Amino acid sequence: MSRYLGAVVLLAGLAHPAVGTAQAAQNATLRRAQQAYDNLEYRQVLTLAQAALRERLTGAERARAYELLGFTYGAMDSILKAVDAFKQVVLLDPERQLDPNRVSPKAYSAFDVALRQVLLVRQLRVDSVSFVGGQGAVPVRFTVTQPARVVARAIGSGATVVIDSGAWNGQVNLRWPARLPGGDPVPAGTYTLVVDARLGQNTFSASQPIRVSHGRVDTLPSVTSLPGYQFLPETEIPPQSWRPVGLAFLYTGGALVGTLGLESSSLGSSSKRELGLVGAAALVTGFVMMLRKPAARPAQANILYNHLLRDQIARRNQDIAKENVARRQQLQVTVAPVSQVTPK
Amino acid sequence: MTRAALGPLLLALALRPAAGQLVTVGPQFVLADYREVASGLRYRGNGVGGALWARRDRLSVEAAVVRLSFDPADGSAATAGFTATQVDAWVAYDVATYASVEVGVLHRSADPEFDAQSVGAVRVGARSFYQIGPGATVAFRANYLAAPKFSGGGHAAVSLDLGLGLDVRLAGRLHGTATYAFNRMNRRTNPGGTGEIDAPIQESLARAGLALAF
Repeated sequence: MSRYLGAVVLLAGLAHPAVGTAQAAQNATLRRAQQAYDNLEYRQVLTLAQAALRERLTGAERARAYELLGFTYGAMDSILKAVDAFKQVVLLDPERQLDPNRVSPKAYSAFDVALRQVLLVRQLRVDSVSFVGGQGAVPVRFTVTQPARVVARAIGSGATVVIDSGAWNGQVNLRWPARLPGGDPVPAGTYTLVVDARLGQNTFSASQPIRVSHGRVDTLPSVTSLPGYQFLPETEIPPQSWRPVGLAFLYTGGALVGTLGLESSSLGSSSKRELGLVGAAALVTGFVMMLRKPAARPAQANILYNHLLRDQIARRNQDIAKENVARRQQLQVTVAPVSQVTPK
Repeated sequence: MTRAALGPLLLALALRPAAGQLVTVGPQFVLADYREVASGLRYRGNGVGGALWARRDRLSVEAAVVRLSFDPADGSAATAGFTATQVDAWVAYDVATYASVEVGVLHRSADPEFDAQSVGAVRVGARSFYQIGPGATVAFRANYLAAPKFSGGGHAAVSLDLGLGLDVRLAGRLHGTATYAFNRMNRRTNPGGTGEIDAPIQESLARAGLALAF
């Protein structure tokens, strides 16, 4: 049962043209106008909404009343009247935005036309950012609904800084380095970022409070390794081979051949007892060494590689030390918006 | 300081190893075969001796002294044995990782003096050595024996000496050594002015011993 009720409420919400903005109206006439709109009694909506506007309403209620008029005129194909009503809406609530997926195309296009006919600075946004003073900037963006002369400033108790100015229309993206004209970072404190737009006699301002704070720049830790590079073992165990016994055989064979070659024919063949003794010892030693696990030997390529890697790490640490010296003299500037844009 | 005290002190200083220096010293047991003039005059002997080897960087020094007792071999025409003292010394310089050039001396004296030739010569040659395993080195040497002098006179234009050596570290500072040496001298002599005759000398020697490394 509860699931069924939930689905009904959801469908009713989707069918509602003025999505999400209308707080529960306190004014009774406005409530009746809303009820009439929900019942598609458009003539009654017009009567009740206009009556409500003659009463004492809050800003939000007044905007809601005009919005009901706009939707109703849109539904009745009175586009010009709908545009006029939506103009009042955006003047009262410049941040008002309609969802094209949830309102009728007629109402949405009337709202869009209304936006283009009123000079507004909307959707002023300042991103939270932290950077080293002089090496970064604060992203600022806003939308100007008509081509206008725009000046963006940061006004604070310590300083007032012009961020940028120009003739702009539509989406504007600025980058504020948060520096004074002399190049120093702006003092810490609360600032108001004000965007003034002027078109003939029409002016509009939007503002956004921001907080600028200063901190120490984090120093970099020294490194003991480089990413992707590892020290290699400086010794290696050579593979077992027949080389020891081969060399013993070679050296013993050399001695035997030499002895046989040098023997004097007149003295007869010499005793081989001495050579046999030493040669056998050499061959046995070679055989044993062939079977033994070879001793670790220096891996020259790895030693050279490690040497180069140590040099690189030392060089990197020298750079880090120099950078840290500079960082200790720098300021970390952090900028954060304080609250939402408020219309002037 | 007395002379008696100075000698051991100098020896100790000489044996004290520095960085890149190694000294081994130890006793040796020796087997030998000696032939002279003709195939009928041959001796077999054994004896004891000592050897010293020292290295500093590329320079190495080697010396061996042996005392041998020779007896006539079976079938030899000799009727009596003799005793010989032989001194070999080398100074070598490494010219490559596995090779060195060397110079040295050979001196062998016989007692009784005329039972065998005493000889002295200068050595010039080369040596090749290779480490065939941890602490095990095998070496081969060939020396030309220049200007040999014989107690019985004569000369030898061609005199050669070759050798095979083995040094194995047995445990810690203890090394085992084995050395084979073969030398032949084409001695020619002119007894009584009747004309030169061949009187070659040939000796083979095997030394086996232990050595302590410092």
